[in-house]
Amino acid sequence: MRSIRRKNFTVFMLPSLIALLLVLAIPLGYSLITSFFNTNLKYQGLGDFVGLSNYASVLQDEYFIESVVTTAKFTVGVVVVEFLAGLAIALLLNNIRKGRNFFFTIIIVPMMITPIAVGLIWRLLLHANLGIVNYMLSLVGISGQAWLADSSLALKTVMFIDVWQNVPYMVLVILAGLVTLPAEPYEAAAIDGASRTQSFFRLTVPMMLPTFSVVLLLRTITALKTYDLIFVLTRGGPGTSTEVISYHIYQQAFRYLEIGKASAMSYLLLLLIIPIAFLFVRISRNRTA
Amino acid sequence: MGLTYVALTLITLFFLLPLLWILRTSLITKVEAYKIPPNWMAEVTLDNYISIFTDNPFGSYFLNSFFIALVSTLISVLLGAMSSYWICRCARHNGRLKVAILVTQMIPPVVMIIPLSLVIKSLGLDDTYFALIMAYLSFNLPYVIWMLLSHFEAIPRELDDACAVDGCTHVQAYFRVVLPLVMPGIMATAVYSFIVCWNEFMFALNLTGLNTRTIPVAIASLDTQQGVMIAELCASTIVAILPVIFLTVFIKKYLVQGLTFGSVK
Repeated sequence: MRSIRRKNFTVFMLPSLIALLLVLAIPLGYSLITSFFNTNLKYQGLGDFVGLSNYASVLQDEYFIESVVTTAKFTVGVVVVEFLAGLAIALLLNNIRKGRNFFFTIIIVPMMITPIAVGLIWRLLLHANLGIVNYMLSLVGISGQAWLADSSLALKTVMFIDVWQNVPYMVLVILAGLVTLPAEPYEAAAIDGASRTQSFFRLTVPMMLPTFSVVLLLRTITALKTYDLIFVLTRGGPGTSTEVISYHIYQQAFRYLEIGKASAMSYLLLLLIIPIAFLFVRISRNRTA
Repeated sequence: MGLTYVALTLITLFFLLPLLWILRTSLITKVEAYKIPPNWMAEVTLDNYISIFTDNPFGSYFLNSFFIALVSTLISVLLGAMSSYWICRCARHNGRLKVAILVTQMIPPVVMIIPLSLVIKSLGLDDTYFALIMAYLSFNLPYVIWMLLSHFEAIPRELDDACAVDGCTHVQAYFRVVLPLVMPGIMATAVYSFIVCWNEFMFALNLTGLNTRTIPVAIASLDTQQGVMIAELCASTIVAILPVIFLTVFIKKYLVQGLTFGSVK
């Protein structure tokens, strides 16, 4: 019996384990090690062991702190706006039967396409001189802006584009939750004379809380990882006005070749994300159990 | 009711019009594409599509993307489905293992690319299909394992036992009886993994070169290397997103599960 079990393990589990060890565990371990060394790609090898000094210097680095603040602004902004807009659109879609599928099918498209394409599309639309958006605005007498080149506007513009891409995600998941809500409580509430607002806050919100927490947590995690959109739209600029953590870390590693510091930043980012991930795991387990 | 439809139409236009504008720009001549105010009567032409496939090696970028996404997905599904089945049936106290698998999905790509890039470049494997296919396993494989767990759990154990009584080995039971039953779940997961690979940018940016460049890297560099070639850029963007839109139709039913790691059904 034992040997059968072992044989099964070899056939079913070992190939995956080896693959995961090679592409996931070893790289993560390697990164952790380099975070304690002053590894720099300009020199051969790991460099010298420096203990926690990478972490200390990163936490005092004003550019890193600034990228954390930018990421926080970006994440809070897009998650809140996307959630509220997604909820509103999902409620509208839930109200209708005829044509729901038609609207829904079109609305979810932006979410599926690569952020690189999304970024390129909006760069063309928002181009200061050649873009259609500024032209349309000029027709109604609003003067166009250098949406992505103006450091006071760039972050807001990037956030707007992210909203365009990711509201569909919220619509998709929230609508999936809404359609499974039972009808009886609403009928009972209507008989008792509850208004639509009352039944929304007293019935829909409490019943939808698990779905809300899932989308909010997952979107927060993906927003914290944002890189592609920034790469195409602004490369972190103008100045450092749109430099989010992922972009900052990538630059540290591959432009300034400071692998040790970049690894320390990576682990700090993980430290930020892992608690949110565990919160998500806990909630989703309660749901499936 | 009427107001709901008006609102939904406006909202849908907000999401649709940018895409239609890019489609329109991809179908007019290079000169027309630069015109502001736009010439609404511009002639329709397929020149830009022809030009990206002839002047640019865009065809080979397309094939690179397709090949890398397909092979990485196939490996993930082959290995991942077997592991998922094993974890479901044979692993005792598998709770922690499951959590670990799910948490890997939350790791930011920038955290992975630094060590992956160092290892791959020190082995001289950058600009090979192998490198990117392996790198994509780092998120694809755990994803497949995780997503298929609930599908295997839905299949009663008695079925395996019945096979054992008939003298089947575990491997035979898996391939002949269990696997066909979870096929719909496997297909949906595979299509979703394929889309994620097709769209992936950061790993591809770092690990590909002239021979293995994928579409997202190609269109991002089209934009920087030759100034803004608006019409061609739009045509390339359309080519990059069409397969995804096409595939999404097939997995629409599974999208919610796929995008929430099964926590919303």
